Amino acid sequence: MKRVLIANRGEIALRIIRACRKLQLETVAVYSQADDNCAHIWAADRAVRIGAAPAGKSYLDQQAILQAALSTECDAVHPGYGFLSERAEFAAKCEAEKITFIGPSAEAIAMMGDKAEARRTAKRFGVPLVPGSEGAFTDVKEATKAAESIGYPILLKALAGGGGRGMRVALDAASFAGLFQQASSEALAAFGDGSIYLERFVAKVRHIEVQVFGDKHGRAVHLWERDCSVQRRHQKLIEEGPSPVLDASTRRAICNAAVELTAGIGYVGAGTVEFIYDAGTKQFFFIEMNTRIQVEHPVTEMLTGVDLVVEQLRVAAGERLSFPKGGVKSEGHAIELRINAEDPSRGFAPAPGTLAKWEPPRMRDVRFDSHVYRGYSVPSYYDSLLGKLITYGKDRKEAIARSILALDSFRAEGIATTLSFHRQVLTHPDFLDASVHTRWVETEFANG
Amino acid sequence: MPLTYKDVAEILKIIDASGLDEISIEVDGAKMHVRRAGRGSAPEPLPPMAGPAPSPVRATPAARAAQEPARPKAAPATAAPQSSQHSIRAPMLGSFYRAPSPKDPPFVEVGSLVKRGDPLCLIEVMKLFTTISADTDGQIAQILPANGDLVEFDQILFLIESA
Repeated sequence: MKRVLIANRGEIALRIIRACRKLQLETVAVYSQADDNCAHIWAADRAVRIGAAPAGKSYLDQQAILQAALSTECDAVHPGYGFLSERAEFAAKCEAEKITFIGPSAEAIAMMGDKAEARRTAKRFGVPLVPGSEGAFTDVKEATKAAESIGYPILLKALAGGGGRGMRVALDAASFAGLFQQASSEALAAFGDGSIYLERFVAKVRHIEVQVFGDKHGRAVHLWERDCSVQRRHQKLIEEGPSPVLDASTRRAICNAAVELTAGIGYVGAGTVEFIYDAGTKQFFFIEMNTRIQVEHPVTEMLTGVDLVVEQLRVAAGERLSFPKGGVKSEGHAIELRINAEDPSRGFAPAPGTLAKWEPPRMRDVRFDSHVYRGYSVPSYYDSLLGKLITYGKDRKEAIARSILALDSFRAEGIATTLSFHRQVLTHPDFLDASVHTRWVETEFANG
Repeated sequence: MPLTYKDVAEILKIIDASGLDEISIEVDGAKMHVRRAGRGSAPEPLPPMAGPAPSPVRATPAARAAQEPARPKAAPATAAPQSSQHSIRAPMLGSFYRAPSPKDPPFVEVGSLVKRGDPLCLIEVMKLFTTISADTDGQIAQILPANGDLVEFDQILFLIESA
């Protein structure tokens, strides 16, 4: 591997270029017409303008990106996150052109991209799933029997449904039959199908994910977990590690479950196995596996000292995982805050515009991954991430205190950002005592 | 008295009519800095990144080109068309071919007279060939890429002297 095309933009493109430099790999950046002033163009050894501003005509244009890779004689493509990172057919096309796709095989991407297939696979390797019925019911007696075996509270969902119609929560057996009838007739009226599917209802869950890594020599390991419970409409805003709610044995169990799946499917490269966690019962359930590097990977890097992107490049080149035999050690506490061009006072509306002032903090144990600069115009075509502020402390308390200090010395003007939101969360009693859940931002921040 | 949009437009007109390359104006604390397109200056510093300091960029021609200052709307090319000239730009990234096949003569040469709709070149993207045609009548004044070059999106391919 000599030259890597980076099929992405923004902070992750810069992050990948940095890892390539460490390994003395040459880099080719690609960019759209909207990104003429984007920093990854200057950071790479070479840059190729691949298309017009809309992502579909540039960063998602598989043919243009492959052509750029071939014409510039790249022997590998790093897809970053988002865009083409989880498109199985793109990984396959790279392979067909004898270009190394820095990620898992097309088969692994496809398997985990199909939610039903991913659930079946997880089950096969003993990873716990949210208990649910195999099929759907129209008969209340059969449904009641199934409900008993799943356990209460039960979520009733219309098989054909969506948008909350035909959905009910039965807290106990006494209320089940009545709610089933309601849900079924509502589903019949709305979708022409009264079939109801049952699932254990898990309220107020936390989002916990495990960083995993596999190599081409059959080894699979975990690099511990990240807790991403502060999110808004499934968009993560704050990630931290280790999770403040896991005890030692649950932590081992969730990490081992993730490794079982990774090893079971012979996964190669960096991946993340996502779970929901019920702090009340200490149970965790598989949601999905992301077959790419995650936005929040620096949390793991701060805790373990591992450069995950360098490791990705090495593994893609066929090398063995560089981690010690006993596994990777995690020390201290790390918190990542996503600084987005969004206005928290207006329902987190995206706020493109020009950064009149931009002075990120420079402090010990604070890392800032970003592609923007003073005078930079945030285009409206792509995501709103301006940068990621990652803070390390010997424990959670110190990491939080340092994060607040970093926020206080952060100056950004010209566009609305999530800086003020982060300060509110970091000083909120619910965050401090780790009682937040994945719907917490929506309920706590009225405008959210 | 703050500068209005109209003021700024007026100032730009005055500068445009002058022979200046670069000018700074300060009025009541409002600063304005104007530079003609295409003149070099240092780009904004890269945002700080964690980790070891990056090694210096290898100075390939492309890297040098990329380090030129931000030029909005500047295609990754080349000559600026004169006012009477019409430019044909690449509608996509790809390999630029001047002839329908290696055995055939080029579609056009410098000096060729073309009519709107005449084929000028092919662009290949992953074995898919697109014919690029003239969108005006005129005479080919310049052919910018060489046969087989990678052309980037919106790069100028031909300059046509309008008929």
